[in-house]
Amino acid sequence: MRFILPALLVSLVGYAQKDIGHFSGSFDMYSQYYMKDEKTGAVLPQDKIGSNNFLKLDYSYKKFTAGIQFEAYLPSIAGYPYAINDAKLINKYIRYDQEKFSLIVGDFYEQFGSGLIFRSWENRPIGINNAIQGANFRLTPLKFLDLKVIYGRQRKELDYASSNIRGVDANIDFSKIATDNARIKVMGGVSVVSRYQLYTGPDPAFPATVNAISTRMDVSGGSTSLSLEYVNKGKDPHEANGYDHTSGEAFLSNLSYTKNNFGATLSLRALENMDYRAEREDMQSTGLMNYLPALTRQHDYLTTNIYVYNAQAMGEIGGQLDMFFNAPKGSGIGGKFGSQFSLNFSHYRGHDDADKLFSTGDTKYFHDLNFEWKKKWSEKWTTVLLYQNLFYNKLVIEGEPLPDVKTNTVVVNTIYKYAKKKAFRFELQHLATKEDRGNWAAAFTEFTFAPKWSFYMSDLCNYGKTDTHYYNVGGSYTQGGTRFGLSYGRQRAGLFCVGGVCRYVPAATGFTATLTTTFN
Amino acid sequence: MYKFYVSVLLSFLIYDTSSAQNSLPNTKIKSLQGDDVMFSSFGNTHDTAVIISFWATWCIPCIQELNTIHDQYEDRQKETPFRFIAISIDDARTMQKVKPFVAGKGWPYEIYLDVNSDLKRALNIIDVPHILIIKNGKIVYQHNGYVNGNEEELFEKLKSL
Repeated sequence: MRFILPALLVSLVGYAQKDIGHFSGSFDMYSQYYMKDEKTGAVLPQDKIGSNNFLKLDYSYKKFTAGIQFEAYLPSIAGYPYAINDAKLINKYIRYDQEKFSLIVGDFYEQFGSGLIFRSWENRPIGINNAIQGANFRLTPLKFLDLKVIYGRQRKELDYASSNIRGVDANIDFSKIATDNARIKVMGGVSVVSRYQLYTGPDPAFPATVNAISTRMDVSGGSTSLSLEYVNKGKDPHEANGYDHTSGEAFLSNLSYTKNNFGATLSLRALENMDYRAEREDMQSTGLMNYLPALTRQHDYLTTNIYVYNAQAMGEIGGQLDMFFNAPKGSGIGGKFGSQFSLNFSHYRGHDDADKLFSTGDTKYFHDLNFEWKKKWSEKWTTVLLYQNLFYNKLVIEGEPLPDVKTNTVVVNTIYKYAKKKAFRFELQHLATKEDRGNWAAAFTEFTFAPKWSFYMSDLCNYGKTDTHYYNVGGSYTQGGTRFGLSYGRQRAGLFCVGGVCRYVPAATGFTATLTTTFN
Repeated sequence: MYKFYVSVLLSFLIYDTSSAQNSLPNTKIKSLQGDDVMFSSFGNTHDTAVIISFWATWCIPCIQELNTIHDQYEDRQKETPFRFIAISIDDARTMQKVKPFVAGKGWPYEIYLDVNSDLKRALNIIDVPHILIIKNGKIVYQHNGYVNGNEEELFEKLKSL
């Protein structure tokens, strides 16, 4: 009894300092009003309106967090991978996070290695959400070993796939076994993923379960780092690979070098029959279980978003090289305010007739060479100059029996800071090609008034052939974590960096209103 | 026996109050060397404000923000000392470019990687760039987007803390 009272008092003092938990959340709205467009021949959706709305709420208390995500498609915007007209409380979870242990029950996202074998993630603008509903258990039983175990079913639109997915991932940091501060760091990893979907067909030997295994290694020390990953996927006959009974393979390697003001990275990747889905019938971007991005430079200008490569999961080999150089202030090349240079090159081809993983075939799929020079001329003026040379195999990438496209593009981007909180940005772009729709030219201008307002006007014109103007005008208002944007015009799909943020936008003609808010 | 277990439980409550003031998520992010760091640990800097900037190698306004703050870095540190952390949301498509890219810019910041956007989701961030000021485990300021001059508001807020 004597022991209880002081213990209670001490804990009450602790209780007074204790918080009652913490709420955070976000609201994300993207709405469009569509207008008839004869020039682009866009099919006008029946509703004339598209609106994607996401409300996410999280409550955390000590090491526990619980949350929900409510999605409303009223209906979904044009260009979204699937058409829905519905609203649902779709993601819910509860999790416990600690230094060496965490458990999530409900809907979660996860990635093994680089995602080549398994990745579940969310990308709202392009309509990807393949969260897993089930359980995710992460453990660090020894200081050099990280384990992950997952089980569940994958999200499909506003429902769940009728298959189940199991996965295990182990990551070992060899350099931590003996010491805490190794100069050379070596890490190894293994992942096993299994997908089971009921098969009721006639073939007794049909693989209802598709297993994939991956091994990876990362070595880094001083200025250099090397990472390697190999994936082998079992027999996986399904719709997207034409019911091919051969196994799939992938190899990814990356070598990086960084020293002082210079950095370089070289990636090489080969894919063969690596399309891996939650359900056999899934096509396009539905039910993807792994992540096979185009390993090419991600562009954010109007003309450089016209010919964009898509990774060929069924068979591709190639790589990408990036080099970055900073010429500091005061140096010869840098000048008074400094200058930055970057070079990027990528090349992708098909395999030979035998479809061997490391073979190179006769068909070239894509290449691009990008050179960028950024220079700050004074406190007020900065310019960016970009040159791109590109090869695009339209038949392989788009499935259209049309000739290959070769382009040369130049972009000049100037920023003028005419006052302490004001700036003016102006871009001129030109894409030259003899194939496809011929030449394109673009002009873009943006006025910004920190920290709240920005306005822009742009026009991208295909003067080479169709004479179509992709004009666009808009503005945004930002207050803290809330941003409201409004624009009007004809938009092509692509990554759009405007009004201070970057967002991927789908193709549309009409009005677009966006509202995003974060509260923490 | 019963008294013993009750007092053990009560002392567990006291033990746990060490993280009571920190409302930051326990999500893990990776350093450029590949080590895991819990985000909530950035809240334990006792009175020094921490500025967290979410960015990506493909995000032009993010790079503009980080370049501009770099230009003013030394002067701003003299005015009010702060810790600056730049968290990249580059995923497997562009993640390997982060380290060489940063070398090619000459930035002095602590860089971390949020490879599958776990932290971005935990903080309910929607678009990048997004900047936060954290003081004593709590988010005291945030701003979405960057246009020239936003850093004035950021540092005014930092001075007022």
